[in-house]
Order: sequence, then C-alpha cells, then structure tokens
Amino acid sequence: MSSAQLEIQLIASLVAIACAIPGTFLVLRKMAMISDAISHSILPGIVIGFFITQDLNSPVLILLAALTGIITVVLVEYIQKTGLVKEDTAIGLVFPALFSIGVILIAKNANDIHLDVDAVLLGELAFAPFDRLLVSGVDLGPKSLWIIGTILLITITLLIAFFKELKVSTFDAGLASALGFSPMVIHYGLMTVSSVTTVGAFDAVGAILVVALMIAPAASAYLITNNLKRMLAYAICFGVISAVSGYWLAHWLDASIAGSITSVLGILFLTIYLFAPNKGIIAILYREKQQRTEVSLLTFLLHLKNHTDETERHVNHLNEHINWQKVRSKTVLDLALKNNMIRIENKIVSLTEKGNDFTTQAIDYIITNEDSQIEGMKDDFFLFRG
Amino acid sequence: MLGSFAVLRKQSLLGDAISHAALPGIAIAFLITGAKDTNTLLLGALISGLVGTFWIQGIISKTHLKSDTALGLILSLFFGFGMLLLTYIQKQPNANQAGLDKYLFGQAATLVESDVWLMSIVTGICLLVLLLFWKEFKILLFDADYTKTLGFNTKFIDILITTFIVLAIVLGLQTVGVVLMSAMLLAPAAAARQWTNSLSMMVFLAAIFGAFSGVFGTAISASQNNLSTGPVIVIVAGIFVLISFVFSPGRGLLFKQIRFIKNRRDLKLHKTLAFMYHIAKTHEDISHPHTIKILNNFQGYTKGTLQKLVDKRYVKLESGNWSLTNEGYKTAANLYNQQSENNE
Repeated sequence: MSSAQLEIQLIASLVAIACAIPGTFLVLRKMAMISDAISHSILPGIVIGFFITQDLNSPVLILLAALTGIITVVLVEYIQKTGLVKEDTAIGLVFPALFSIGVILIAKNANDIHLDVDAVLLGELAFAPFDRLLVSGVDLGPKSLWIIGTILLITITLLIAFFKELKVSTFDAGLASALGFSPMVIHYGLMTVSSVTTVGAFDAVGAILVVALMIAPAASAYLITNNLKRMLAYAICFGVISAVSGYWLAHWLDASIAGSITSVLGILFLTIYLFAPNKGIIAILYREKQQRTEVSLLTFLLHLKNHTDETERHVNHLNEHINWQKVRSKTVLDLALKNNMIRIENKIVSLTEKGNDFTTQAIDYIITNEDSQIEGMKDDFFLFRG
Repeated sequence: MLGSFAVLRKQSLLGDAISHAALPGIAIAFLITGAKDTNTLLLGALISGLVGTFWIQGIISKTHLKSDTALGLILSLFFGFGMLLLTYIQKQPNANQAGLDKYLFGQAATLVESDVWLMSIVTGICLLVLLLFWKEFKILLFDADYTKTLGFNTKFIDILITTFIVLAIVLGLQTVGVVLMSAMLLAPAAAARQWTNSLSMMVFLAAIFGAFSGVFGTAISASQNNLSTGPVIVIVAGIFVLISFVFSPGRGLLFKQIRFIKNRRDLKLHKTLAFMYHIAKTHEDISHPHTIKILNNFQGYTKGTLQKLVDKRYVKLESGNWSLTNEGYKTAANLYNQQSENNE
C-alpha cells in the first residue's frame, strides 16, 4: 500500500466521519433532502467565488459556496413559509434554479478554465493526493486532508459542545424553546455545518457522494438503534467501513472511487434493510405474519367462548364458519394446542381453563383498552407488544 | 403535466430521485447490449427508475425512515452505483461508450428525429391514459381511502401513475439532464397550482407553462452562444413560478399583502367609527356635532380614515366639528352587535 493509497483512504474516511455527524441529525430532523439541495446549489457560489479570486483553491471559494448553501436553506424556508407550496416542492424548485444559474455562468464565462460540472458533481478522489499543501516548501500532505480535517475538528467540537441542545431540539423543538435554547439558532447552525461539510468534501469526493455519505450511514444506523449516541457511532463506523472497502473495490474494478464507495454504502444499507433485527424487512414481515396468526387465534378463541353448542365447535365446522383456508386453520389450531388453550376430544374443540382466562382477559383489554390488563400476556404474544 | 400529480401527491422530489436512479439502468443496458441504442437505454432507465421508486415506497411503508431519507438514500446510492458502472464502462475497449454521460446533463441538440417521434408517441399515450383514468387518478389523489372503499384497485392506479411519471422523467432526461429534470417536473405544476384550485385546469395550465418555458428556453439558448438548453429552460420555468407566486390573484404574495393592508384599514375605520358611536351614544341627538380634537388621543384615528367615513356618508363634517349621520349610527350600532355576537 503506497502512501498515496493510504492518503486517499484517510481522506475518504475523514469525509465519511465528517458527513455522518450532521447527516445523523438531518435524517432525524427529516431534512435529508436539504443536503441534496445544498450539494447542488453550491455550484453558483463556487463559480462566483472563482470569478472574484481567479483561483480554484482559494478559501474564499469555500466560504462563498457555504454561503450559497445557507442561502438555499433560507430560500427554501421562505418559500415554504409563504404557504404556497409544500417543503419538498420548495426544495425541488430552489436547487435546480440555483444549479442552472451556476451552469449558465460556467458556460458563459469560464469555458476555458478547469471548472467543469462533472468535476463538481462527481469529484475525483484519486487526484486528491496530488494537490499538496506546501508551506514554505515543506510538504505537509494533501490539501484536502487538511481542509476536511479542519472541518471535522470543528464539527466534533460543536457536536460535543452542543450535544444536549442538538438532542433536545431535534426530538422536541417545543421543549427546546421552552428551555431557552433557540431552535432557530441550532437549526441554522446545523445547516451551516452541513453546508460547510458539503463544500469541504465535494472537492475531494463530489457532491453526490457527500449526499450518500450523509444519509446512507445515518439511515442504516437508524434501522439498528434508537439511541442517539449509538446511532452516531454506528453511522461513523458504517461511513468509514464503506469508505475503505469502497476504495479497494474501485481499485479492483479500476472505476470511480466515489461511485464504488456509494455502491458499498448501498449494499450495506440493503443488507441492514433486509436483516436488521427489529426493523428490517424480514423481521417486519415475520412479525406481521405472527400478528396475523395471533389475531386469528383470538378470533378463534372468542368464537369458542361464544358457542357452547357442540356442532358449532366441531373441527370441520370451524373451517367453513370462520372462513379460513385449511392451512391457516391448522396453524391456528396448532398454536392454540401448543399453548394449552384448547382441548380436542372427538374432533370437538373446547376451551381449557387457561384459554378461558386468556380470552376473558383479551376481551377486557379490547373493551377497556388499558395497558395494565395485558402486562402478563406481553411476553407470550407479539400482538400485545406495541 | 404529470408533474401536477407529483406536486399534489407531495412526491415532488420523487422526480429528482428517479432521474438520478435512472442512471444505473442506462449503464446496465449499455453493458448488456453494448450498443448505444436510444430505446434500449431508455428501457433500462425506465426499469431502474421503477425499481428505485418502489424501493423508496417500500422503505417508507415498511420502516420508520421518513420519505425524505428514503428519497435521498435511493437517489445518491443509485447515482453512485451508476457512476461506478459508467467509469467501469469507460475503461472498457468499446468505441461506442463515448457520449453516455450526455444523459447526465442532457443535450437537446443531440436529439434526432426518431427521438422526437418517440417522445411524441409517449406523450400521446400519456394523454390517452390520463383521459381514460382521469376519474380514478383524481379520486386517488385526494382521498385514497375513499377510493379503496369504492372498490377501485388502488395499487394498480398507483403503479400506473408512478410508471407514467417515471416514463416522462426518463424521456425528459435526454433533453434537460438529471439535475434539472426535477425542476421540469415541478416548476410548471407549482406555477399552475397558484392560479387554480381545479385539477383539470391545473394540469392544463401546467402543460402550457411547461411548453412555453421549453419554447422560450430553447429560443434564448439558441440566440446566444455557449448557453446549454437545459439550464435556460429551467430558469425560464423558475421565472414563471416566481411570477405566479407574486401575482396570482387568489394565493399570490402581492394580493395577500394588499388584502392584509386593506383589512388593517377596514379595522381602523371600524375602530374610529365605534369610538364615535360611543361618544354619540351619550347624547340624545346622535347628530350632535363634536370637535375633531376629541379624536386626537384615539389611536385608530387619522385624517384619512375620517375622510373615508365622510365618503361613506357615515359622518358629516362641518367647520372642524363632526357628527354621525343616521346611517353611520346604525352601522356602528350593528358593528357593535356583531362583535358581541361573535364573542359569544
């Protein structure tokens, strides 16, 4: 592993961490699409900055780009506040307009320079190590490493300093303002951080990857845990893992690094989406099936309780009466038998003591809707768990 | 046109997501066929756009992730994957690969006659389906539960709308490119929404706005050097939206402001009138003249409001004295009654 490779991976990992932190909050605040909007609309900021400084590497560029990002947020909010359109429409209107302005500016005035839409949107991580920071002739490492490192440091400092405020205002804006933090300040602070991170990172990895790195790790982490601190930690881990493995994938395929990091993120998310213990698709489907069976069981038991007549309780009769398929009735019967709730004698089904109690309790719960009634049943049945 | 549905269904950003999600489809279609045939590429884009859309819906309905997260996620992941494939293709020894990235940013100038035909045909089909299923679309849009109880197959209609939105986006990609497609979908519809509350009117207006911004945008970009078509079209559409926001009669900002000011004036007028009424009530003769000076320490009073009251014949002015007319007295009394009624 050469030093250039190491540096690329280092930059990618730092970007991943820097994106994961604001990304987590964006996802929690339902503002994920804002990051997409910011990443597109910083283009005119960069272009204007370039006209002023005539230098692609000046810090003014980053400043202006971040400013455009904040302008985007303000514009979106203003449009939304007029009540004429919904928030998502507002986002969808603002950023293409800004992006178009950027593209037109480039096309009109900057045709001959190295400022190309592809470069902004897609970025090229592979070249990052060649752009080195030289301070009085001493090579201090790649420039983007320094930029993203600084941004990360600021982000982490802010995160630690304002963790409590962020947490409260994210989950309960009302409480936050009652406690005297201004949600507005925190909101715009977060937006500024996201904006700066996007700008700092796009240079290295491109706008699309920034969006992917902000949202995907946070979304994956959100599927696994409900704890904010853990979610942050998971998001950072996922980001770094996919940054490093994405690099090697790109190395192996000889393709775009940004693209392959995103693809790894995608695979990661898909896996978690399918297999996450509580919120994955498979777990949810299983739970839904379980709940359906249990609802059937309850219906079945109620039916038994209501009918004392033997013909009504005959196994064959149940099939037609409750209108279930054969397989389904069998599952329900088996489940009931296993739990000792029914007895079958000569194909006549009757409730046992336990089944009778259970049904009574269930009816009580359905009628009163009081949680205390079912405390004891929660362990045995999915149905009564939330 | 279809954008109207997207806007009303609060799926505005879907267009953005789909246009990004179409990229891997294009790349995969190219990888499989090895040829740059528009139809196959579009088919690939359509399929991957649909996959993206349904995955988004799956995420929203099955997990606790919100729609914005799902959109952003799918958008960036698909696009990244598409980029990976594109760069991978670029390394392949295949002369045909050049120009695939044109799909990214769009180039109306590269369209050939057959593409235009394809577009017209698809637009025709869209129109036809829209007319056929108009009632179903409309009802699903505004009251999905009701539609279900009426026995319509909501899933089918839903898929139908989504498919056509995806189709429209994929076709538009060639013209304006990935980034600007969402604006093309949204802007005309958002502009049209400001002018009308009726769905058919809105769809119609959106189509007109869209067509106009297309024509103007192309004209402007053709008249100048170095202007790519897509961004100009989007800017023109954006200007349409801005104008609609400001000037539309029912919902526009300008008229809202005017209404606001007018209401405030009316309120002032009422206040002054009520004040006068209270003074006049204490006298037996309601038209007994009072000096204007009494009104001076009253807040709602200005010379303008007084003049207006005179114009309305509620008040008579005689050499620095005012007096309520019969009509004015009655109105003021009713005003008071109305207020107390409202309070109860």
